[in-house]
Amino acid sequence: MLKASLFRRGILPAGLVVLVGLGVGLTQGAPPPAKVFPYAIHKKTLPNGLDVIVIETPEFKDVLSFNTLVLAGARNETEPGKTGLAHLFEHILFRHRYAGEDNAYGRLMDELGTHNNAWTWFDVTYYHPLTFTGNLTGQGGLPGVLPLESARFTALDFTQKIFQTEAGAVLGEYRRIASFPSVRLSERATALLFPHHPYGHTTIGTYEDVLDMPNEYEAAVRFYDTYYRPNNCVLIIAGDVKAEEILPRVEPYYRDWEPKPVPPIQPTAAPPKGPQREHVPWDADVAPLVWVAYRMPEFKPGTAEGAVAQVLNELLVSPAAPLFKKLRYEKKTASTLGFAEGTQGFESFDSRMLVLSAQLFKEKYGEEGEAYFNDVIEDIIAGVEELKNFSKQPGARELLETLKSKYRYDFLAQMSSPANMAQTFAWYYRFNRDPEVFEHLLGSVERLTPEDIDRFARTYFVPENRAVLTLAFQAPEATAGN
Amino acid sequence: MENRKATVPMRSLPIIWLTILLGLAVAWAAPAAEAPQVVTLDSSAPLLEIRVMVKAGAADDPQGLEGLAYLTGRLLIEGAFGDPENPVTKDRLAEITRAWGGGAYPDVDVSKEVSVFSMTVPREVLDTYLEQVLRPMFTRPLFAPDELDRVRAETLTFLRSGRLEQIELVGLIALDNVIHQGTGYAHPDLGTEMGLQQVTAEAVRRFYATYYTPENIVIGVSSAEPAIVKQVQEALSGVGRLEAASFRRRATQPPAPVRGREVLIVALPNAISTGLHAGFPLPITRAHPDYWPLYVANIWLGTHRDSFSHLYQVIRARRGYNYGDYSYIEHFEGRPFNLFPPTNSPRRYQYFSIWIRPVQHDYVHHLLKALTWELENFVRTGLSEEQCALAKNKARVLYLSLAETPGRLLGYRLDDAFYGMEPGYLGGYLETIDAVSCAEVNAAIRNYLQAENLRYVIITHKDEAPKLAAAIAAGDAAWGKSPLDYRIDVVEEGGKKIYQVPADKLELLRRDAAWAHHWLDIPRQRIRIVPAETLFRTAALPE
Repeated sequence: MLKASLFRRGILPAGLVVLVGLGVGLTQGAPPPAKVFPYAIHKKTLPNGLDVIVIETPEFKDVLSFNTLVLAGARNETEPGKTGLAHLFEHILFRHRYAGEDNAYGRLMDELGTHNNAWTWFDVTYYHPLTFTGNLTGQGGLPGVLPLESARFTALDFTQKIFQTEAGAVLGEYRRIASFPSVRLSERATALLFPHHPYGHTTIGTYEDVLDMPNEYEAAVRFYDTYYRPNNCVLIIAGDVKAEEILPRVEPYYRDWEPKPVPPIQPTAAPPKGPQREHVPWDADVAPLVWVAYRMPEFKPGTAEGAVAQVLNELLVSPAAPLFKKLRYEKKTASTLGFAEGTQGFESFDSRMLVLSAQLFKEKYGEEGEAYFNDVIEDIIAGVEELKNFSKQPGARELLETLKSKYRYDFLAQMSSPANMAQTFAWYYRFNRDPEVFEHLLGSVERLTPEDIDRFARTYFVPENRAVLTLAFQAPEATAGN
Repeated sequence: MENRKATVPMRSLPIIWLTILLGLAVAWAAPAAEAPQVVTLDSSAPLLEIRVMVKAGAADDPQGLEGLAYLTGRLLIEGAFGDPENPVTKDRLAEITRAWGGGAYPDVDVSKEVSVFSMTVPREVLDTYLEQVLRPMFTRPLFAPDELDRVRAETLTFLRSGRLEQIELVGLIALDNVIHQGTGYAHPDLGTEMGLQQVTAEAVRRFYATYYTPENIVIGVSSAEPAIVKQVQEALSGVGRLEAASFRRRATQPPAPVRGREVLIVALPNAISTGLHAGFPLPITRAHPDYWPLYVANIWLGTHRDSFSHLYQVIRARRGYNYGDYSYIEHFEGRPFNLFPPTNSPRRYQYFSIWIRPVQHDYVHHLLKALTWELENFVRTGLSEEQCALAKNKARVLYLSLAETPGRLLGYRLDDAFYGMEPGYLGGYLETIDAVSCAEVNAAIRNYLQAENLRYVIITHKDEAPKLAAAIAAGDAAWGKSPLDYRIDVVEEGGKKIYQVPADKLELLRRDAAWAHHWLDIPRQRIRIVPAETLFRTAALPE
C-alpha cells in the first residue's frame, strides 16, 4: 500500500515552467532560423523495431510525459461489423491485469501518482500518462511507470468479462454524443466519400457495432495481436529527462516484445466519383447545417502539398478569409463557419477529407428553405474554388508571407508543455519516422509559393472529390386524430 | 460618442516584487483610479500572454437584459474601436493581428463574475500591439449597432440549437441554474432568449461605462520585466471613460438553501440516453481554509475524468453503466470537453455537484438512488487514513496538469487576485495538500456535505420523463444490471438456477441491492418536467 511519504523526495516543489529561447529570431520579416524547435530530440530504434524518442525539456522540472503511439486507429478496422475496435482497445489497455491481478495496472498507476489518459482517432491511438520523473522506475515498493506501461503493451492480460464490462463504457461514450447533429453528419460524410476504404466509418464506430461490442472479444484479441507490435509503435518520452540516462533504462523493458509484419491497408475499389449530395432529416428543432466535404491527398509532411494543408484554415475559414467574411459578415447567412475536424482531419496516412461546416439560421431556413441551403453551398464552393487562381489575386505573395509568419507563431504557441510537444511530435513523426519532422514541416511552409496553392486547389477542389450534406429539423409526421 | 483619448499620465506607482514558488513572480501595483492592478508570471517565452479580467460577468446582467455582459465582451472586440472616422473594425482587427499568430486576435470568455480577454503577442511586436489593438480596444470602443445585431443573432442561434443538441452541457447548465434560482447566477453566461433580444447598443455602452473601469480590472502578463508590465498597465489606464449612465450594481446573493429533495426533468425530443445531476450550494470557496480538506475528500469521491475516484469505480469501471461519474466542490466550466478545470471563471458562491454521464434509460431510477446512497454513505463513513493518503497522492499529481502551461499559470494568478489568495492557489498547492490531515478531511466531509437536501436534474427523452417522474414518486425498489449482465455463471440444478458468485461480485450485488431499495422520499409535486426547448427563455425556470 501507498505511504504518504511517497513524494517526499526533497526536490518538490521545483519550478515547472519556463520556456526559454523558443523561437528566438522569429521576428516578422527576418529570415527564418536554421532550426526552429529548440529542444534536443534523440532517437533510438530497438532491434525489434520500436522507436524510442526522447525530447529533453529541462526547464520543466520533474515532469515526465511518457507516451506510446500505436500506429493503428479506425483505419485498421477492416472486418465488417467490427467498427470501433481500435477505440475499444484503447479502453481495454487500462484494464490490464498487471502481474495477473484484476485492475492492478490502473490501481498501481493511481497509487504511484499519474494522470493517465489516451485517445484514438482514424490513424493512431495515443496513450499519454503524465507524472513526476521520480516515478519512472518506482519507489516505496511500487513498480514505476516504466514497468507498468511496458507490461500492458508487451504482454497485455485481460479477460472476456473485463472486455464486456468495458464495452458498456464505450456505449456510454457513444450515447453522450448521439444528440450532436455533427456526429451524424460525420458518419454520413465519411460513408459518402470513402465507401472503398476504412475511413468510411467514424472512430467510435457505428451504433450497431458499438451495441454489439460485448460479442467482439475474439476480433479484439486479433486486433491487439496484429497491431500492438513494437515495429508498429513509438515510445515518446518528454520532460525533465536525459536521453543518455533514460534510454539504457528503457530498453530492457521493451526488447522482448516480439515484432510482426503489419498488414497494409488497401482500398477495396476506386473512390466514388462525385459530386454527391445528401440531406439528413433531424428529429430535434436544431439550427440547419451545411457541410461541404472534399477528398484530400494523403498527407506528406515536408512536401508542398503538405504545406498547403497548413495554411488552408487561414485561407478559408479564419476571420480574415474572404469566404468567412462573406458568409458571416456580409451576407450573414451563417452563424458559424469552420473546418469540422480542423486541419488534422486530412493529416492522414491515406487520402481523407476536409470538411467546411456552416451553421445556418433557423428562421431564414423556415422562410427560404432549400434555396437558402443552395445559396450557402454555392458560396462555399465558389470560395474554395477561388483558390485555383490564388496566385493571380493582387497581393497574393505578401498575403502568403503573412500566413507563414502566422504559422510560425502558431507552431510556437502549441509547444507550451512537454506533453504538448510530445503529442505534436508524435502526430507528425508517424509519417516518415524522421526526428527532424518539425524542421521539414516548417521548412516546407517557408518555401510555399502562391502557385503551389493554385495547383493544390485545381487538383483537389474538384466536383469528383466533393460531397455536400445538409441537415434540418423535420417535424414528425402529424398523426391522424381529432 | 464621448470617447476621449487617455491623456492622464500614469502615476509613478510603487511596485513590490514578490518571488513565489514555481518560478512565478507577481507584481502588485497599488490600486489607483488610473491604472488597473497587474499580476505577472516570470516567463521568457517568445510569446507574451496578456489577459484582462474585468470583474463583471453574467451575474451583473440587469434583470431582463440577461446576455448583456456577454454581448459587451464580444462587442468590445468585434464592435469596432479607435477613431470613429477610421475605426478598427473586426475585419481590420483580423488583418492587423494575422501575422502574429491566431492568439493575437483577442478572445473573450464571460462567466458569472468576470469577463476575461486573452491575447498571445510576440514580444517583438508588443509596442505596435498595444497601440493598435489593446489600448484603443479598451479605451475607445465604438459598439457598432450592426455588430450588436449580428452577434445577437448568432448567439440566439447557438443558444436555441444548443439546448437540443448538447445533452451533457445542457444538464450541467440546468443544474447550475436551478441551484441558483432567484440570483444573478440563475441564467446561462451567454444570456437568455428574452434578455438577448432586449439588449440595445446604449445598454452595452452603459455596461462598459459601469464596469470596465481601472479599479475593476486586473491585468495578467507573462513577463516580470518592469518595463513591459508598466507598458501594458499604462495602455489600459484610460479604460471606461464613456458618457453613459451607470447601472446600479446588482446585489449578488448566495443561493437559497435547498430544503429536502427536488427533481427537474428536462425532456428532449431525441435523447437516446439519460444524464443525471445533483447538487446543493456550498458556503465556502477556495479562499477558505476548509477548501483544502474538502478538496482532498472530493478527489477521493469524484475526480473529473479520472479512473482513480470512487464514483467512477463503482458506476463505470465495475458495472459498465456509462463513460464517467464525478463530483465537484467548485463550478467547473465546460466539463464535457475539458480534462482539467479551466481558469478564469471564479465565483463568490460555489456549489457541490455530482455528474453521472448519460446512461441507458432503464437504469436511471436505480442510478438516481445509487448516487444518493453513495453520497450519504460517504458522509456517514468518511475516509480511512489509507484512503486519505491515496487521495492526497492523487491531488499532488494533478498539480502537473493544473500547472502545465504558462497560460494556465497566468490564469491562476488572475483567479488568485479575484479570491484574494496569497501565495495563490498553485503557489501553495503542494505544501497545503501535504499539510492536510485525515481528521480535517473527515471534518470537512461532515461539515459541508450532505444528501438530505439536494436538487437533481435529469435530462432524458420526452417519452421517458413522465414514466420516470411516476417511478421516482412511487419510490419502489429499482434495479439496474442483473447478475447476467455481470457475466456471473449460472448452473441449473433440479430446475433451480444457481448463481456462482465470486467473492468480488458478491460485494457488488449487495451494494446493488442497497441502491435498489434506497428510499429517496421525493413526492410527485417536487418533480417538474420541462421541455428542453423552453429552457433559457428567461432567467426563471420554465413553468
